[in-house]
Amino acid sequence: MIISIAKRELYDNMMSLRFALTVLLMLLAMVANAVVFLGEYNEQISNYRRSVAQEHKEMKLHAENFPTLVLYGPGELHKMPSPLSFCANGGEAFLSKNTDGRPLERWWGDYPARFNGIWRMTYPQSNPNLWNFLPESTQMDWAFLIGIVLSFAAILFTFDAISGERARGTLRLTLANSVPRHVVLVGKFLGALMSIGLPFLMAVFVNLFLLYSSGSLRLDTTDWVRLGAIVLVGFVYTAIFITLGLLISSRARQSSSSLMVLTLIWVVWVILVPNTVGLAAKSLKPAMTGDEFRQRREALYQQVTQKYLDRGLLDSYFDPREIPPAKVTLLWGEYHLEESLNDERFLEEHLRAQLDQVAIARSLARLSPTAAVQYAIESLAGTGVSRHLQFLSQVKIYVPEFREFLAEVDKTDPESPHALFFRPAMSWEPVPFETIPKFEDRYSFGDSLNDATVDSLLLMLVFVVLSAALFLSFLRVDI
Amino acid sequence: MFLTLFRRELLANLMTLRFFVVVVTCLILVITSTIVLLQDYKHRLAVYDTAVKTHREDISDAMTYSKLRLYVDRPPNPLSIFNQGLDKRLGNTVHVHHQFVPTLLDALQHGVDNPFLNLFSGMDLVFIFQVVLSLMALLFAYDAIAGEREAHTLRLMAANPVPRSLILLAKYASAMVCLTLSLIISVLLALFLITTSGLIAFSGEDLLRILGILLVSVIYLSTFYLIGLLISTVSRRTATALVFVMFVWVMLVLVYPSLTVATLDRLIGVDEKLKAAVSEIEQFWDRYDADEKTSVIKNSVRAYSYPTRIGHGDHLKYSGGYNGQTLLHHRFWWTYSYDSIDEDKEQFVANLQSHSQLLESSRIRAAEKTWLVRKRALDQTYGRKTQVVQTVIRLSPAAIYDLATEALAGTDLRGIERFAESSRQYRRALIEYLHEKNAFSSRKWFSHDKGRVSWDDLPQFSYLQADLGSDMIDVVPDLILLLTINLVISLSVFLTFRRQAL
Repeated sequence: MIISIAKRELYDNMMSLRFALTVLLMLLAMVANAVVFLGEYNEQISNYRRSVAQEHKEMKLHAENFPTLVLYGPGELHKMPSPLSFCANGGEAFLSKNTDGRPLERWWGDYPARFNGIWRMTYPQSNPNLWNFLPESTQMDWAFLIGIVLSFAAILFTFDAISGERARGTLRLTLANSVPRHVVLVGKFLGALMSIGLPFLMAVFVNLFLLYSSGSLRLDTTDWVRLGAIVLVGFVYTAIFITLGLLISSRARQSSSSLMVLTLIWVVWVILVPNTVGLAAKSLKPAMTGDEFRQRREALYQQVTQKYLDRGLLDSYFDPREIPPAKVTLLWGEYHLEESLNDERFLEEHLRAQLDQVAIARSLARLSPTAAVQYAIESLAGTGVSRHLQFLSQVKIYVPEFREFLAEVDKTDPESPHALFFRPAMSWEPVPFETIPKFEDRYSFGDSLNDATVDSLLLMLVFVVLSAALFLSFLRVDI
Repeated sequence: MFLTLFRRELLANLMTLRFFVVVVTCLILVITSTIVLLQDYKHRLAVYDTAVKTHREDISDAMTYSKLRLYVDRPPNPLSIFNQGLDKRLGNTVHVHHQFVPTLLDALQHGVDNPFLNLFSGMDLVFIFQVVLSLMALLFAYDAIAGEREAHTLRLMAANPVPRSLILLAKYASAMVCLTLSLIISVLLALFLITTSGLIAFSGEDLLRILGILLVSVIYLSTFYLIGLLISTVSRRTATALVFVMFVWVMLVLVYPSLTVATLDRLIGVDEKLKAAVSEIEQFWDRYDADEKTSVIKNSVRAYSYPTRIGHGDHLKYSGGYNGQTLLHHRFWWTYSYDSIDEDKEQFVANLQSHSQLLESSRIRAAEKTWLVRKRALDQTYGRKTQVVQTVIRLSPAAIYDLATEALAGTDLRGIERFAESSRQYRRALIEYLHEKNAFSSRKWFSHDKGRVSWDDLPQFSYLQADLGSDMIDVVPDLILLLTINLVISLSVFLTFRRQAL
């Protein structure tokens, strides 16, 4: 019975103007997507490989002289691009592509080399807005298609599904047969889902075909699974709006007022809420400004340096190669370690505060299922904030590893005075490049799925709540 | 006759649920977003004030001429609450230096506390009108003709001696009154919130600009109403009209603008031309290098840059270059602030003075030439891209509306370019000042052992005032475009409706 109702709905819809227009809109969005992202991944991955190779080359050079390696550290660590960025671009341009392990260069009169801080991990930021003169726009990715177009189509397919039939009197006819109300409801739901799902799948295939045949896409099995999961999330999201449409339609006396209410809800929920939260989050928990950040960082450096100067950093003449090392030599090592760790901690905290703000904004944005579905798609596609956080946490594991490695190398050299991180009083031997631990960015499907869970569950929750409301409302409504 | 019709339509519109819903939604949205936007403005203003203060301190910290760190800042535009345009997006602080002519692309952001927040697109009052009111206009229009035809009241009306054009006119006028009413109420409310916050005091000119924005908004609404009316006239059934109207709306307001920007941004490349410009600029600095080498020999300045051992280092190569997306950053500041000069080095001071003079003049020359090339390169790349996108995007009335109000608010590219132009003027004033003081050939260029520089008579930065007249003229083409669209559509509505069987 459900199937025959669903089939009737589907046929009805497919013959309608809105179906044709929906197909048109989706195809347009997907072709534009293919144009925009054509060749993008190839560019990104070759840039990534080039940068990594460049960094390795430099590291190899630095490794010829151990103190140089201690000064420059691991260099830039790069984030691997995702082949699925056409699904959700995730604002990748605003998330830096790398972190940068680099020394702190200081000019201290006759002692430049000694006061030059050794490497620490820094987090460069990226703001392409500074040279973007184009009008404000949304990315043409799958997240746009799903978030905007699918939800819009869902409303258009359902606003008169019940109110229209009631007005025509056909709903009574249907219910005059021995059909339970919930069966009618489920049938209508499935019918609408299929009438949107079919053009959606078609658009997806056209898009994949275009990208694949142009050679700008090479996917492995997990990528296909990711794509499948994204489509699935898209269906759940569409189901939310179908349920919403049926709910309002069952309560409305006229189809036109049903559409009116639905579009208003849609505009606020889908368009306005996700756009407003960035601003709101800014004033909720202000971070320090760029100038303040620079001043505090400088003050921190001065403070540490002064502390060690007071402890006699420059007091006596000494030979850094002396074994066992002089007290001052050890003090220098201590100074460099503390200074670099302090600075690193400060930079990390700053980054953390900024990311916390982003997290608040994202939680607020989740008031809208459009934001939730976008975040879910981003996580599944391996782009956006959640992917960036994964990258940063890998960096966080790698940094102490590298520092540990430097200490280990120094330990094995009998000629070194072992004043750790004071470069004149460490090993001066070359380090074999192969033994240096390399950073390799990786992200697994498990992690992505994990990140997508919250948002997917949220979507499910909204769906379940709305379905329950719809069910109850439809059971009690007068036909 | 017209009045009777008009009254009937007006009452029919005013008494409906939809008018109520429009007004309430619009008011709620405007109130919440004005509050949020005011908060944001307050924050930006505070950041600007701090930046100005810090940069003033930077000036007085400089003890020698070469040590001067001069930054100028762009205050947030209060009208950005109406249309933020590029006001928040582009840089708002520029380093003014004789060795470098700044463009808009060299501006940084003084108060970016968190660039990650750029992940979230912004929002302003015009955006709300653009999305919500256009939708309302369409919802008012879709059943204006088709609905009455279905209810057979159209026939009844036409049976009276009423010209058909009058029926249309009455419908149009009454709907526009309703829409304009809700628009004006929202704007007044926003203005009320803004003025009572005490943060912003609008000048008379600002109010004129707001009035202009209001006027463009009304024309924009009229455009959408007419589009709806046209669809309503040609559709036989209300349901069809409704579906069609919704699609036209989503296409014009949401899909088409983003689609255009995204595809054109990808299709129009800039790299090649920039690379060519970079190699051209490198030649200027090669020439500068040669100048420096000659001067080093001529003035026999050598040795290293230690404070008490005067002289220039051997670092003759310039820094900067081309990094992917930014372009042509050519700047290298050598600054000196020696508090003493060894006696045995005293004999070199005169040489060093004439060396600096030669060097700095050569740097200014190279900078001016660089600027000419950069300006051309930027116009041909980013400038052209922006132009193409802005032209193509104007196929959508929503985009025209956005661009026109942006120009009126002074937050468009031209408005912000004024900041870059002001900073270039200020740079010229600075160079004049330095020349006047003979700074380049002065001992105070590098050393403050015989007294420090006093910056009391340093010229002040003045931000070129926005010119209301030229901004208005700027909007005229957009206005004409919108009005033409209006005319064409109303003509087609009129013609179709005249020949139609009711």
